[in-house]
Amino acid sequence: MKKGIIYIVFAIAGLLVFGGCTKEPVDDAGLLITGRSQCYMSFFDLLGSDNRTVLVSGTTQIDTLAQTITAVAKFGTNMTRVKPYSSVVTDATVEPKMGVWVDFSQPMLYTVVSGNRKIRKQYTITVTVQK
Amino acid sequence: MNKNLTYLAVAVMSCLGLAACEKTTVDVLQPLKNDLLKKTTGPAVIGTRVEFAYAIGANDGTVQNVKAEASIAGATGTGFSGFSWYTDRATGVDKPLQTATDTVTNGVLSTAKILDVSNKAVTLRYFYSVPEAARGQVVSIKFSGTSSAGKEVTFTTPGYQVSKMDMVRSIVLEDAKKSYFSIADMKAYTKEEVEQRNLSGKIDFVYIYRPTISTYAFGHAMVSLANKSYITDLNLPAAWTKAATKLDKRVDIRDAQLRGSGFDSYIDDIDLEKTTFTNAADFAYGLAADQGAFVTSADGTYTAYIFVNAVNNTAKTMTVSMKRLKVK
Repeated sequence: MKKGIIYIVFAIAGLLVFGGCTKEPVDDAGLLITGRSQCYMSFFDLLGSDNRTVLVSGTTQIDTLAQTITAVAKFGTNMTRVKPYSSVVTDATVEPKMGVWVDFSQPMLYTVVSGNRKIRKQYTITVTVQK
Repeated sequence: MNKNLTYLAVAVMSCLGLAACEKTTVDVLQPLKNDLLKKTTGPAVIGTRVEFAYAIGANDGTVQNVKAEASIAGATGTGFSGFSWYTDRATGVDKPLQTATDTVTNGVLSTAKILDVSNKAVTLRYFYSVPEAARGQVVSIKFSGTSSAGKEVTFTTPGYQVSKMDMVRSIVLEDAKKSYFSIADMKAYTKEEVEQRNLSGKIDFVYIYRPTISTYAFGHAMVSLANKSYITDLNLPAAWTKAATKLDKRVDIRDAQLRGSGFDSYIDDIDLEKTTFTNAADFAYGLAADQGAFVTSADGTYTAYIFVNAVNNTAKTMTVSMKRLKVK
């Protein structure tokens, strides 16, 4: 009887060990693919060459249904050299990558990809400059 | 079982004992020793000076002379100072004490004679004024000292890279007066001077102060003559060359040499060489003290960093300092 219990304990331990070795799926960027299907952008900011925000406080509007973001940049902002940042729902990613210098003088398209990488939502981001 | 444990313990202790028997080297008392600190942390820019603290002490006899031999002769101001420094215990303030005399520099060689009052051990300051001849070169300095017992010690520094860039400090730009700045000339001109001397091709930007433009805050700004939005009121002559200088504003670069004090961060040749101006603006506005901008002349000959030392809204002035590198 005792021997039987020992065998069962070893068997369970073995299964746990093997289970622990299962590889979690990751995407091309090495980021974990999870079960989350939520897919939206929750925050947006734009930095100038001095790495300070160029957006006028309180003007940013995010419409997650229409998948649009509008914002107003301060007077004098050089829109051809700005760096966008955003926050997205947990585990989601943004394509193309933000945090690099881009020309934002025209509306830009960014796609939010859900944590399970199955839902993709394209956002149109439009920033106008105070005139 | 107990016996085994005992053997194991003995083995471990033996190992520890052997490790403890490692050889240690004991410094033999030397009759004359020296050491060196390079006190200046910033890049060696032409016109600045690099400070060293050279320490020398004798166990046998007294310290008599010190000398420093630079691989490239320093500019005026190079040489030993006759003073050592100590901290006053009561006030915490560093005070000078004369410990050397006959501080002479002749070409690459600087010498000093140690005074009798403090001749067992002394730390002397040596200043190397970076000369034009050293631009872009590597400079090293060989320090040495002699004692009354006839001993000599030497300390040779590693090679120090001298910057290729130029630096100029505290240029006052004044709105509507000395406001036209030339990176090539490293100075500002008035509109009349630019006109009379036909200098417009050399002007990289004009300084303006406008508290607001179109009701929006604008402030102190450097604007390229090619800009079509912010300097229309200057009515620049049509015949002027209006170079499209690129400017990239920064708020987080507080170069200690341009600032004069405060932070151990510096711009060196490599920063000016590596800075890129893709899509950079032709103006930088809203400037305040401790901010600045990377600037490149329209033809790409020069890259510079212009640091704002101070602004004055009432006088409509901005005091700037600049590091500039010829990149083409």
